[in-house]
Amino acid sequence: MKMRKNIGAILLVLLLGACSDVLDLEPTDKLSGQALFSDPAGVKLYMANLYYQLPIEDFTYFRNGFRINGGDPNNGGFAPAMQTDEAVHSEFGDFIGDGDFNWWEQSYKLIRDVNLLIDIIPTLDIAEEDRNMIVGEAAFIRAYTYFELAKLYGGVPLILSSQNYEGEVESLKVPRSTEADTWNFIMEECDVAIANLPESWQGGERRGTRWAAYALKSRAALHAASIAKFGNKAPLSGTAVDQKLIGLEASLASPYYEACIEASEAIMNAGVFSLYKPDPASPEEAAENYRELFQDPNIAPMEAIFIKGFARPGNETGHNYNIWYQPAQTANGWPHPGRMNPTLEFVDLYESYDNPGESDPIETTVSGDIEDYNGFDPAKEYLHFSNPYEIFAGKDARLWGTVVLPGTPWKDQQIIIQAGYVKPDGEAVIRLSDQITVDGTVYYTYGGPNPNTYSGFDPFGGNNTRTGFGFKKFLDQRTPVSPGWNQGTTDFMDFRYAEILLNYAEAVLESGMGDATRAAQAMNDIRRRAGHTVAIPLTLENLMRERRVELAFENKRYWDLIRRREYHIIFNQKRMHALFPLLDLRTSPPQYIFVRSFVPNVNPRTFDYKWYYRPIPGIGANELVQNPQY
Amino acid sequence: MKTYKIVMILLSFALYACELDNFDMPDAALSGRIIDAQTGELVEQDIIRGTNIELTEHGYDPVASQYLIVKNDGTYENSLLFSNTYTVQPVRGNFIPVESQEINISGNTVLDFTVTPYIRILDASVVKEGSKVVATFRLEQNVTNNVRKVGLYVHSEASVGEPLRIVAVENEINAVVDPNQVFTLEVDLPSNSATLQAGEQYFFRIGALIDVGEAKLNYVPAVRLGV
Repeated sequence: MKMRKNIGAILLVLLLGACSDVLDLEPTDKLSGQALFSDPAGVKLYMANLYYQLPIEDFTYFRNGFRINGGDPNNGGFAPAMQTDEAVHSEFGDFIGDGDFNWWEQSYKLIRDVNLLIDIIPTLDIAEEDRNMIVGEAAFIRAYTYFELAKLYGGVPLILSSQNYEGEVESLKVPRSTEADTWNFIMEECDVAIANLPESWQGGERRGTRWAAYALKSRAALHAASIAKFGNKAPLSGTAVDQKLIGLEASLASPYYEACIEASEAIMNAGVFSLYKPDPASPEEAAENYRELFQDPNIAPMEAIFIKGFARPGNETGHNYNIWYQPAQTANGWPHPGRMNPTLEFVDLYESYDNPGESDPIETTVSGDIEDYNGFDPAKEYLHFSNPYEIFAGKDARLWGTVVLPGTPWKDQQIIIQAGYVKPDGEAVIRLSDQITVDGTVYYTYGGPNPNTYSGFDPFGGNNTRTGFGFKKFLDQRTPVSPGWNQGTTDFMDFRYAEILLNYAEAVLESGMGDATRAAQAMNDIRRRAGHTVAIPLTLENLMRERRVELAFENKRYWDLIRRREYHIIFNQKRMHALFPLLDLRTSPPQYIFVRSFVPNVNPRTFDYKWYYRPIPGIGANELVQNPQY
Repeated sequence: MKTYKIVMILLSFALYACELDNFDMPDAALSGRIIDAQTGELVEQDIIRGTNIELTEHGYDPVASQYLIVKNDGTYENSLLFSNTYTVQPVRGNFIPVESQEINISGNTVLDFTVTPYIRILDASVVKEGSKVVATFRLEQNVTNNVRKVGLYVHSEASVGEPLRIVAVENEINAVVDPNQVFTLEVDLPSNSATLQAGEQYFFRIGALIDVGEAKLNYVPAVRLGV
């Protein structure tokens, strides 16, 4: 009994002791900000999470969002390029919907994560130099994030520090800033990043650098300037317009173009960057250089300004470009290859070496008519070719580095892309499975006896191109594809030197500011790298062609159409075009002819004005002003 | 077994959470016409990317507006509205903008808008001449802005228009037009043989666009022709 009493008393004493700070323990399953950021490894860890969330439009960016590479990320491989004039999907024909290109919640999650970091920076007990680097990195990430938001939605709520919920939800609601204020904030954040970030990271980590921040500013300023200059080509109305939440005054074009010129010049003057293999000996060499640059951008540190790495195969770390877009013949057992089909209008765009400064559309007939998409006409005199790629001879090397052309080699196979044949009696069999024996030889409409032996036009599985072209850029030629989800590990160049040169040239040309000679030189340097030897003048047509060709499939075209307000003009009942290679059995030996056609089974596409800005989700709860017409 | 019972009991509780939907379904309709104040005729429209009628229902804040698409012939109808007071205004139209109005919608409410179209297309004629389809017309402007373009649009559907066409022949004007000037637009049939197949019927429609922000084209009714 006494024993018990004693124990009770001791316990009581202990309880009294609880009134001191004995129980104010640091939780053992959580790290304090101080502990985390005082350790360089902790900073790295936190930063890795922020970079992971960064809206980089890389190989995991699709119309349904960013980082589509977790688990079974089956979205059909529907890349943004397929909603521009660069490509169509082999199976699906649909166009932009209200649900596409939305990135609202995730962006504000990332902004909160950055703001938590920014709030804690002043309290950290670290060296001044380290503090500056964190300040710069946080600003870079926040600028990058708000840039994506501004592109999608116009003016957005600028949340500059982490919010705390204290039982009062109204205080958390931040109204939208004007589009001008949003862009200005992005410019200011870029400047903070530029002032504080190092030129490179010890150990070569892929983190934001001063140059990446300049590159971001170059891209963002060009976007803003374009909206100011071209916004009136597609006017909108409504509350969001009245409150200037979308749209920029035309007078703002000049300062933004100037900002683009300055940021681009900083990179051009740094002496750090140059074009990869700028002076090829032949077009063949140029084509291979260009292809290798995207197969592995790490070979080109002089060109790559900011690389997103895909470190290892697996969910959240690999990507699916290699399986979605491989020609059917090299699918290596993967059941859904061949989704990216470059269009004929894209192929038409390229220059030929013998006619610099002009797009050289593919001529298929003696008369040279390129406006006829009416299909095979037996009365027409078609040009004949002994192999299916001779028709592309003399075209810009980058065509060969970007697109798998009919009959060209890929991974030690000849990629067969054939739409049909013309029988000796003149009857054409197009996009139908058929075979015929002529002079003892069996010919197949698709160029082979079964779906493993060709990559074009057979609707089987949606695995074959329906435009006549396969996709090559970014794909790794060196290894057979691993036939599973998220096995691709090609790294992605987000910013590269060529884009900066093109941004600079466009800003100079559109604004009349800057050095026009240097801008023309920048454009022609890129053409020289592609094997061109004749410089062409800096005109809008030449520059925009160069931009589309050089940056093809880098997810730039969508934004170029948006910012220059050209989407609704080009996509007004737009029908996409294809090139049908046919084997002409009327000649002996058989030769190839080509027919310019509409892409089969794709509806005409019309861009709605309201799509220049995306709908903001959840306005019933967040009480934001919605963008027009949603 | 015991677990099973517990789950069953919990599930039966869950059922209590369900109530019958206690809201009435939409019971009201709004319909009407867009009428040219001078001629009394319907003002022809586009079915996509065309004039909308903006409906904002009262009693909710915030509230998202609804947009009602106007039919090609200039009539409109929405038969699934809740009875309530609404602010109604045609927006992004092909006529001089009209003020919004508050109306009480219940039963079958009819609301016509009397408007002045930006452009009237007069003396319109679309005929087949040999291997061509030829449209001639004059324009009467009701505002002083430039006429941006005129066009002849072709589609297999009667709802043909500038944003719904398989063939278009357009002429950029960018000027104020003389009401006596006769415009001519021609569709060459042989060079469009894949899209306009011989022996088939197609709809041809003349349109004209004023240079006003967000303005839509003005039209005459489509004409059906065999090619």
